[in-house]
Amino acid sequence: MNRQRSPRGLSAAGIVIAVAVLSLLVTPSVRDGVALAILMMLTVTSALILLPSELRRARPVLTRAATSTMVVSVTLVATFFFSSTTDFNLATGAAMAVTLVGLSFLTGVSGQVSIGNGAFMGVGAFTMAIWSNHHATTPIAVTLLLSVVAGALVGFLLGLPATRLRGPYLAGMTLAFAVAFPAILTYFNSWTGGDGGLQLPNAANPPHWLNALFVHGTSSLTSSTLWLTDITIVAAGVAFFFMANLFSSRVGRAMRLVRDNEVAAELVGVNLNRTRVLAFVISSAYAALGGALWTFLNNSVTPATYSFALSIVILSVIVIGGIGTIPGALIGGLVYAYSTNVINWITNQTGLNPQGNFASQLNGIIFGGLLIVTMMLAPRGVAGVYYTLRRQRASKRGDVASPPKETYAEA
Amino acid sequence: MDVFLTSRIASDVLGGLTNGVIYGLVALSLVLVWRSTGILNFAQGAMPMLATYVGMVTFGHYFGYWICVVIAVLVGFLIGAGTERVLVRPLYGKPEINPVVVMVGFLTVLEAVAAAIWSSTPRSLTTPFSPIDFHLSGKPFALSAFSLYQIITAVVVMVAVAVLFRFTNLGLQLRASALAPEVSRLLGVRVNRMLTLGWTLSTGVGTITAILVASNFFTGLTPQVMDGIFAFGFIAAAVGGLDSPVGSIVAGIVMGIILQFVGDYVNSNAIILVALAILIVSLMARPNGVFSPVKTRRV
Amino acid sequence: MIRVQDLTVAYGAVKALVDVTFEARTSAITAVLGANGAGKTTLLRTISGLKSPVAGSITHDGAELTLMKTEDIARMGIAHVPEGRGVIGEFTVEENLRLGALTAKVDAKQSLASQYERFPILGERRRQHADQLSGGERQILSMARALIANPAVLLLDEPSLGLAPLITAQIMATIKELCASENLTVILVEQNASSALRIADHAVVLNVGHVVANDVASVVAEDEKLRQYYLGMVR
Repeated sequence: MNRQRSPRGLSAAGIVIAVAVLSLLVTPSVRDGVALAILMMLTVTSALILLPSELRRARPVLTRAATSTMVVSVTLVATFFFSSTTDFNLATGAAMAVTLVGLSFLTGVSGQVSIGNGAFMGVGAFTMAIWSNHHATTPIAVTLLLSVVAGALVGFLLGLPATRLRGPYLAGMTLAFAVAFPAILTYFNSWTGGDGGLQLPNAANPPHWLNALFVHGTSSLTSSTLWLTDITIVAAGVAFFFMANLFSSRVGRAMRLVRDNEVAAELVGVNLNRTRVLAFVISSAYAALGGALWTFLNNSVTPATYSFALSIVILSVIVIGGIGTIPGALIGGLVYAYSTNVINWITNQTGLNPQGNFASQLNGIIFGGLLIVTMMLAPRGVAGVYYTLRRQRASKRGDVASPPKETYAEA
Repeated sequence: MDVFLTSRIASDVLGGLTNGVIYGLVALSLVLVWRSTGILNFAQGAMPMLATYVGMVTFGHYFGYWICVVIAVLVGFLIGAGTERVLVRPLYGKPEINPVVVMVGFLTVLEAVAAAIWSSTPRSLTTPFSPIDFHLSGKPFALSAFSLYQIITAVVVMVAVAVLFRFTNLGLQLRASALAPEVSRLLGVRVNRMLTLGWTLSTGVGTITAILVASNFFTGLTPQVMDGIFAFGFIAAAVGGLDSPVGSIVAGIVMGIILQFVGDYVNSNAIILVALAILIVSLMARPNGVFSPVKTRRV
Repeated sequence: MIRVQDLTVAYGAVKALVDVTFEARTSAITAVLGANGAGKTTLLRTISGLKSPVAGSITHDGAELTLMKTEDIARMGIAHVPEGRGVIGEFTVEENLRLGALTAKVDAKQSLASQYERFPILGERRRQHADQLSGGERQILSMARALIANPAVLLLDEPSLGLAPLITAQIMATIKELCASENLTVILVEQNASSALRIADHAVVLNVGHVVANDVASVVAEDEKLRQYYLGMVR
């Protein structure tokens, strides 16, 4: 095996070791130290897997697993040191990123767009809450999966006509669904709890297996709400791992072919209808997972969260991050997590009256404006700009420019 | 006859008709833009909403209702033309999701700007027409001076658009530019101007619709007033066929009546569910719209 | 008179026309001949402004057309009957003709009547949708639609395409008649070289974007080499 190591891999390993040493020095409890040590080992292992570039090329699935593990475990380590507000923001952003990567997938590989993903998040969020209220003992993972299934089912129902239609029709239909969603929740208010929404029954109780892991401990993982944020981040990591594989799988390639050339796709035996519906179902399922994670994270769900405005915010942040790309979803999730802070900051800096009409609408003006500006100037968002710069630099160095793995709707 | 006119069925039909013409108008304005530029305009409710605020609220301080209506429609024309020139023109020939995203962004900005300027509190527009139902031998039936005004205005607008498109040279050029832009240019038609005009007309029709919606005593004018109406209008246009002005108007009216029965006999929250169901079922049965001839999909 | 001078047109890196120079005189038919892909259609599209050239110029009676918009070129009296006729199938025959008459400075009713007089078949079918017409009828409709505005120049792209020989002969005869009676400058693009040469006064032969012959029609028609290599005509 080739022992040669890339400088990037070395520096990554260096950072990991530095963080590990630091964590042992500042860890407030022994139990946290144990948890952190496990995470460190995961990080180092995945970093070692990523080092040899031949391996990266030969074993893409292993590489994606290692990348996901490394990003997740580094984030988890960080959550032990951040304030609980920051942790909560990160986890909220991670759950949002799950929704975003679903939408990114839909657009990137099938060329379609949904304006109703806020409502699909709502489907997952309410499924999670309703099921937990009726079956409090179901393990979290199972409830999350059930929410995903519910999102997929609703997506299938709405996506069926997509077999016959393209582009704007699907967008219009999902918009109608998003506008209708609050009324639908009200219609089923005996289940959904009406305007007040639902509380989770076993709120703030960590699952037994997590308690069992730290029987004697006072780990901040189980004594605070840290376990909520960390489980959310792990779930998001798993979802991203599957999505990364899906993007470059046979299914993903078939979908891109349908997007770019229907005739060619039919000639090689791709079923157009099934492919289009599948893309939409996957996107809806991912949105539902994002919503379910939000319910889990907040221990409650309110219908006001899943208004039409959320769907527009979702579209905004993924377009800003880079629709059609995986990193774009991560960037979008971060943008979402900190958007409130940024907008408050702008309000303060510009001296606007925070209670005034204008300040309360700043959100819409900025997000809507960014949607337009991004689509006009850099339709692939931040991720797209990065890819373009990287390719330019590569061609300047004289390397053979290799196109990025992801392809986009608006290339 | 009197007994029938005051019956529950008759009042549902009349109430449904009153709503249905609004859905038909929104659908018509969507079809105008779709046929001329191949774009589904998601800001089709918000652009007229802004025109209505400017015309009916800002100028409402100085002028009476009818003058304000004229001003609002003129502002609507301006907004439509300006939007096509500035925002839409760079989008021609781009992948279909680009105009979708841009118009959703525009919708968001317009609603936020309107709320920033005029606040989100509903404003009632004083109309010259009473919203109180007429009475027939002492019993009310579901028609008021206001709903008559609404129905008649809608029909007049629809007929005017039909006459323009069917019988005038301008209409001929608008249709030709939509059907065969290159051939039209070879015959000297200024196609770009026709595209702008399509958006102008569409926003004008939309503004009349928004004024009617906002003049309704029970809703009033809010920045989001057209969101729900847009959804119903889109459903009507999709069911009737985005290529078919007549089909989408008919679909709008029929849907208005069906949904009125649903709201009366089932539950008002079931209305949008039924509307979605109608959309899904009809799209699966007739993808190009119930009233379009069965044709292969446009590529 | 149309003058094309050193015209070069490209699609990306591929040159469709290279240094093309020729003249099309008034009251004469200039046939532009050549195989598929020779650049004939591109030539017409460039004259009517649908495609902009890389270099060179096009003038009509001395007026520069090169940078003008298609609509304005059409309004100058340069009528282009595109490949595949370009009739609007969803329109009736009369609507198609009315569309052609929009830019005319004459009374629309009167010019409609004169076209119905010239082509009685169109008068009979005036209320029918254009997609119900036969190929020959469509060709007549698209020519009538071009003529209704009294153009000075008529650009015809493959009028014989898909037509039976008898109909082709009739269409060609009509073109010849019109050219004489209306003092038209006709540029006739054809793959069917023998039909075109029978009525043409002048002929330009294109091969992959280059002019390989530019001469009196009868001379081109008699040139064995041209006939064999570029025109696909076997005696």
